[in-house]
Amino acid sequence: MAVTEPVIAVRDAGVRFHRGKRHRSMRDFLIRGERGTRPGEFWALDGVSFDVRPGEAIGVVGRNGEGKSTLLKLIAGVMLPDRGTVDVTAGVAPLIEITGGFVNDLTVRDNIALTAGLHGMSKADIAERFDDIVAFAEIPDFLDTPYKHLSSGMKVRIAFAVVSRLEEPIILVDEVLAVGDKAFKRKCYARIDELVAAGRTLFLVSHSDGDLRRFCSRGLYLRGGRLVEDGPMADVLARYETDAGT
Amino acid sequence: MSVDEAAVPAVLAARTGGSARRRGMVARPVALWQRRRAIRLLVGRDLKVRYASSALGYLWSVLEPLLLAGIYWFIFTQVFTRTVGAEPYIVFLIAGLLPWTWFNGAVTDAARALHVEAKLVRSTNVPREVWVVRVVLSKGVEFLLSLPVLFLFAFLYDASVDWQLLLLVPAVLLMATLVLGIGLLLAPLVVLVRDLERIVRIALRLGFYASPVIFAVQDVPEPWDAVFSFNPLAGIFELCRAGFFPGVVDWGHVGLSVAMSLGMLLVGWAVFARLERTVLKEI
Repeated sequence: MAVTEPVIAVRDAGVRFHRGKRHRSMRDFLIRGERGTRPGEFWALDGVSFDVRPGEAIGVVGRNGEGKSTLLKLIAGVMLPDRGTVDVTAGVAPLIEITGGFVNDLTVRDNIALTAGLHGMSKADIAERFDDIVAFAEIPDFLDTPYKHLSSGMKVRIAFAVVSRLEEPIILVDEVLAVGDKAFKRKCYARIDELVAAGRTLFLVSHSDGDLRRFCSRGLYLRGGRLVEDGPMADVLARYETDAGT
Repeated sequence: MSVDEAAVPAVLAARTGGSARRRGMVARPVALWQRRRAIRLLVGRDLKVRYASSALGYLWSVLEPLLLAGIYWFIFTQVFTRTVGAEPYIVFLIAGLLPWTWFNGAVTDAARALHVEAKLVRSTNVPREVWVVRVVLSKGVEFLLSLPVLFLFAFLYDASVDWQLLLLVPAVLLMATLVLGIGLLLAPLVVLVRDLERIVRIALRLGFYASPVIFAVQDVPEPWDAVFSFNPLAGIFELCRAGFFPGVVDWGHVGLSVAMSLGMLLVGWAVFARLERTVLKEI
């Protein structure tokens, strides 16, 4: 197991959030710096360390607000740790807040080009995969419709279609499987299966035991921002259930 | 291995994400350069929205400076007797108003860049500087596209034109540096302190009269001219006017512009790097 280099190395990572007051004063920033814990702060993620090797499929469990999404954002690089380091040595396709990158006033066509481009897909690749993406999302009639006029289900479908087409070695999935109708869900499952089979590294956050058991071999259990268990998925789920039951 | 990253400046902190590897003030520009395609994409989108989506697109981008030029020309040549600037005054005005429009628009938009694009910033792992650079460049391209208007008026009013027109090139580079510095400084601060956006708008209003747009620094009486010399825009506007008004460039002003623009960029980038992680949580 220790032969391959990890693609994700998280070392003592911590993220501190502010409870209540949204903005700190200018004085705090400029004079006191960002050291120390002040009242009203808490660590959404605290001293988390683990390695992920290429091809692993990891499920993250924990109750709401225990740091799962924060962990994924760190790996996606859209949040930075206040303590420790997060080293990701391969590209990431983040299926988190996936509709976030879409712009309401642009057409679906422009949006696909923009989002794919921002995630690092080249122009040639976009052109090549465009039909695939449209077919997957089942939206051929809406290509020139402004994004804002689509139903929320369609929005998620396009977003999933684009981001899941990114040829990145790491895929992050955060609860997106909960949306969409049954038929589309099945397609998403098939697509994720395909990606995992192709040797991608998967990071899945879910509240569904079925999904977790289906895709993941290794589990991470977060409680109160700390990593309390890291082991085979079944064991981690068993521990989580015991905790939830008491 | 407990590295207390909070104890070292955020600029030096190691956070490696995707292909964007950034460590400190050398790596940041490098990471930005690696993702230049994202910038091109965004600037292209901005220009498309600006020019392709409305037939009057081009007119809109030059209309405001032209109207202002017309008004100032009327007030200072018809109402008052003009004692400032140079002849032809309308060319003098346009050569100042076009770069001012770039400055004004870019600073206003760059200050809100992270705030307005919050959703994109939260979901895409590109160097966060991209959102500011994109505004500076979009407005810069609009400036370049508005230059023909300046040449047209220079031709109509028979202004003298010489090789110093080439000084427009360093003027553009200086302006881009200055605006980028100010944008990088303001964008994260506006996310954290919302009312700053309003202060910026007021400062720009006042800044218009504190900058040699409708007059030249040479027209300001002592001892105030020293104050106006310290405006980094003074040197930039003089470079913009150099091609039509021989002898308008004071190299001392230009030197100050260079020093202040570079200083602004360093300060702006340092602040941006320092506040980045907090901004990502607040956005």
